[in-house]
Amino acid sequence: MILSLKNVSKTFGGVKAVNKCIFEVEENKITSLIGPNGAGKTTVFNIISGLAEPDSGIIRLGSKNITGLAAHKIAKSGISRTFQLTKVFRNLSVRDNMLIAKKASDDEIKRILKSIYFDKPLDTIASELSYGQQRLLELARALLMPHSLLMLDEPTAGVNPKIRQELKTILRNLRKEGKTVFLIEHDMEFVMDISDTVIVLNEGKVLKVGKPKEIVKDRKVLEAYLGK
Amino acid sequence: MIHDFLIYFLLIVLIYTIIVMSFNLAVGFTGLVNLGHMVFFGIGAYASALLALSGAPWYLAVPSSALIAALSGAIIAALTVRLKGDYFQIVTLGLVFIAVTLSRNWISLTRGALGLPGVPPIFKDSLHYMIFVMAVFALSVIFFYWLTNSGTGKIFQAIRDDETASSVLGKNTYFYKILSITISTFFAGLAGSLFVHYIKFVDPTIFDLEFFVLILSMLIAGGLASIQGSIAGVFTLGIFVELIRFIDRVPLLSTVLAQHPELIGASRTMVYSVIVIYLLIFRPRGIFGRVEV
Amino acid sequence: MPSILPQLIINGLIAGSIYALAAAGFALVYYVLKFQYFSHGAIMSIAAYSFFAFLNLMGMNYLFSGALTVIISILATLLTNFLIYNPLRKRRATSNIKLIVSVVLLIFATALLQAIFGSSTKSITLGQNKVFDFGTFTITSIQLSIIIIAIIIFLALWFILKKTRLGKAMRALADNKEVAQVVGISPEKIYTYTFIIAGMVAAVGGILLGLEQNLYPRMGIPIIVKGFVSSVVGGLGSVPGSIIGGLFIGLAENIGVLYFPTGYKDIISFVIMLLFLLLRPQGILGVKARDS
Repeated sequence: MILSLKNVSKTFGGVKAVNKCIFEVEENKITSLIGPNGAGKTTVFNIISGLAEPDSGIIRLGSKNITGLAAHKIAKSGISRTFQLTKVFRNLSVRDNMLIAKKASDDEIKRILKSIYFDKPLDTIASELSYGQQRLLELARALLMPHSLLMLDEPTAGVNPKIRQELKTILRNLRKEGKTVFLIEHDMEFVMDISDTVIVLNEGKVLKVGKPKEIVKDRKVLEAYLGK
Repeated sequence: MIHDFLIYFLLIVLIYTIIVMSFNLAVGFTGLVNLGHMVFFGIGAYASALLALSGAPWYLAVPSSALIAALSGAIIAALTVRLKGDYFQIVTLGLVFIAVTLSRNWISLTRGALGLPGVPPIFKDSLHYMIFVMAVFALSVIFFYWLTNSGTGKIFQAIRDDETASSVLGKNTYFYKILSITISTFFAGLAGSLFVHYIKFVDPTIFDLEFFVLILSMLIAGGLASIQGSIAGVFTLGIFVELIRFIDRVPLLSTVLAQHPELIGASRTMVYSVIVIYLLIFRPRGIFGRVEV
Repeated sequence: MPSILPQLIINGLIAGSIYALAAAGFALVYYVLKFQYFSHGAIMSIAAYSFFAFLNLMGMNYLFSGALTVIISILATLLTNFLIYNPLRKRRATSNIKLIVSVVLLIFATALLQAIFGSSTKSITLGQNKVFDFGTFTITSIQLSIIIIAIIIFLALWFILKKTRLGKAMRALADNKEVAQVVGISPEKIYTYTFIIAGMVAAVGGILLGLEQNLYPRMGIPIIVKGFVSSVVGGLGSVPGSIIGGLFIGLAENIGVLYFPTGYKDIISFVIMLLFLLLRPQGILGVKARDS
């Protein structure tokens, strides 16, 4: 177990966005966080990465309590993440975008970019890349930053089917290298295909944790998605 | 006459360029729209005047006044850079009016509206002073080129483009924003000190918004996040604005202006206000600019 | 209780009424168009000078001068929208840029007024100014009318925002531009109306300011600074809040005279503003921004 949440809650303007959330993410596995819109998935990600402070509860990375730490400290503790709406540094080159994550040689940068099928020159300004390529650049940047846990918020959103297939290979390769991946995803085919564990979130609560096969058969999960 | 004017022009332009580059570091490179930047120029000028008038040698007065400006900048940044939305601009603009009020009313220190006359020059001869300022200018340009291309400079730019992404990449954005303002206000203070040793006088009008708008128009004309832009902006607009000084030599206009000398100042202000508004609408990136904030 | 307190409260209400008019225009534009509208001070100073020119230089009567001043202020406001703010919206300039432009316009107006009227101070003379003595305090007929006219404007603003279709459209636009457009509201049309109202408020504010103090080309700067401080204290983007903020700042400055040297009057308002920013950034009436 690399990440654990115990009774984590967060209220926004009277609404419980996250409600006594409990789950664990295991090392060297691909874990997916799914749930209907408004289930609190992104809030959970933001709390883990320090962008939102939980009202209560404890978050541990390995044995370290990271609850309420500043985002940059959590990043340095070993959590690297991407965003649902891609956050690249628009006016910086591909190289400079990567260098913000870590000091690295051009060779090291190119190796990572190549591993995720990104083939634009290093001097390209990020705002000149297509949206799909910006997403890949953001992923590459997250990979370059030293980390023990990689968190991806909807990696397939807005990317073309080719990149989507490539992403599956990328994530499987990461797992092969011993990396731990935790992602939010809407694309069920994608989730069921690559995940080792699926966590279903509904109304800020964990509804079900299990292997993909168990999740697709679960009635409660179906109800949450389809509405009662 | 021409000789004197040339020295005057170059001195002013070199000093303005140091201000505009330092302003650009905060606004263009880090995305911190510090509307109170000229307050730190004024702090540098007042500090230098007071130190020099109390007998401190220039090699002590000049660096100390830059440090005093930087320290004030650091303290104010520590209090304000976390403010969200428009509040950072609001508070920094507020600083201008606090500075005006303090400089007018803290009479035991600033002599209020009378100002501080008789600041001793660094060199008796303005040509030598110009060479000295040129050296400081050259070092500042080299420093800003180096800084903005360094790892730290890239982090400033990353924060400008996306603060959240910078923080999840392990960057303490609060610290870097304070650092940027501190460096920026250091050079503003340095410029203020060089300025006051040249014109030998300082009073509360140094905080006037007109002066700020002139510096702002030079920044925008040159372009944000570009050091060569700041240099180009000051030189082109500087020539333009200084030439307006000579409109009283134009036949016909000269008779009108002789009766209404205040028209010269007013027309200068109107001209660069119109330039800056025109640029912001039609050429927001200026001559060399790469970004907008 | 110091015996001058009632007089200070009256002085505070007079200053506060004018601050509130500056703040109300600033807040209205901030509310609907989402940028910091410093050129409201420019229009106020132009209004004060126009009223002076019509009344004292051309010798018109005060009602006619007032009406012409309102027209000039509205036209000047619409002109800035047409020539400057509208093109900036079209190219999707950030609110930073609009803020900078509005400050530059403020400076432009000071230079313009200096070029036309010269830099010496002027004062508006308006017939008999009767002094009412209430024992504990005195108030002149002009000062009394300042408070009454300001109250009428506040009520009119409240009525427009709360009771008319235009007010509803403004609120819809302020809340969510996309949704407002979907239900058939034309943003540009509402922006034009907003500027017309702001121009009217600036005209009245400028005239009242001109009656209360001397005219000088830079007069638009300190008044809009007070307006903006009041607006922050009252709650940025809240029109009723800005009015309360204006009265609050006017009272605080004048009562503060009991405790601080008069030269530091301006600092009082900034200290209050900073305290609000640190302790209650949403202001007196503002809604706390949602954390997300």
